Amino acid sequence: MWQPLRDIAPLAEAWRTAEPFPHVVVDDYTPAGDLMTALDDFGVNRYESDLFAFEATAPDALDPLAAGFAATLGPQLAQITGKRIRSADMRAYAYRPGHYLLPHTDHQDGLERVLAYAYYLPTPEPPRGGELELYRCTVTGGTLATIEPAHVIEPAPWRLAVFDVSAVSLHQVREVLAGLRLSLAGWFYP
Amino acid sequence: MSLDELLATRSAIIVKTDVRAAFTGFARYRLYDRGSYEWLDVPADDRLGTIVEAFCGERKRCVASRVLRLVPGDYVLARHDPVRERGTIEVVVDLSPAPVEGAEVQYRQHGQVFFRMPCEPGTAAVVPCGPTVTANHSYVSKLRTGGEVVRWIAVFA
Repeated sequence: MWQPLRDIAPLAEAWRTAEPFPHVVVDDYTPAGDLMTALDDFGVNRYESDLFAFEATAPDALDPLAAGFAATLGPQLAQITGKRIRSADMRAYAYRPGHYLLPHTDHQDGLERVLAYAYYLPTPEPPRGGELELYRCTVTGGTLATIEPAHVIEPAPWRLAVFDVSAVSLHQVREVLAGLRLSLAGWFYP
Repeated sequence: MSLDELLATRSAIIVKTDVRAAFTGFARYRLYDRGSYEWLDVPADDRLGTIVEAFCGERKRCVASRVLRLVPGDYVLARHDPVRERGTIEVVVDLSPAPVEGAEVQYRQHGQVFFRMPCEPGTAAVVPCGPTVTANHSYVSKLRTGGEVVRWIAVFA
């Protein structure tokens, strides 16, 4: 289902120089198989908390897809980011109007997430909103002291965004205002 | 958590109120990993104390009084909530200009929502609180143009 990335060196350079924290965006990363048909077999449920509202597959429903994703991309992402990668998880997400994921870092002690990713899929109704927004943060005394919006990544079809997970990797998915935002997303683990 | 504490929190209510007030001079909070909103500390007010007295049958002392204003795109996460003392009573008076669909104060115990206060001007929530209770103000959708949420929150001990 997955194909390797091309031109690792420029992606590694992009990772090193990215602001406000390390990330890389790969466009036209089309799957090697019929991914959309494969995903048709999986239903989504609504999830909601104080931090988010969206629809997603069950946490382990896409484990076989995630394993292939990690096997194909893990070694290359290790070259790009300098991080050891052995596995990944994956869920499919559907953001409809009014859905959002508020600012958070993904960093939690004990979870060992080293990279986060979002892979945007084609949709019958391209979304308005739903951008991935990255923040520039400063830390004082172990907590975030200043936070400023710094970079926006549009959810373009077949775009793969990979970003660092750390105490300052604050990001959000802006509220979808119209249309449908489809993606696969998750984390890579050492 | 004791059974008494569990039962106390489950007695939270929403009442009608004629408390009205207008405030200016808000400051904006921008630590987005916790919240995005405007706030203003205001003096204690006897009218809110009367609401508490009607609920619990005794006069209590106001220990905190703050007004929050949220516009589309704003929110307050539960992780931003201060730790509450055992046996305190929280009053939330809705001063919003108009109802805003989906905008709620959500009170949680161990993460689970046990009480919701929708945005309904002219109402007040009275919520017994303790160390296991947190609250969040849900995200105000940008789909509701002009939605403005104003809540006067006072804590009594």
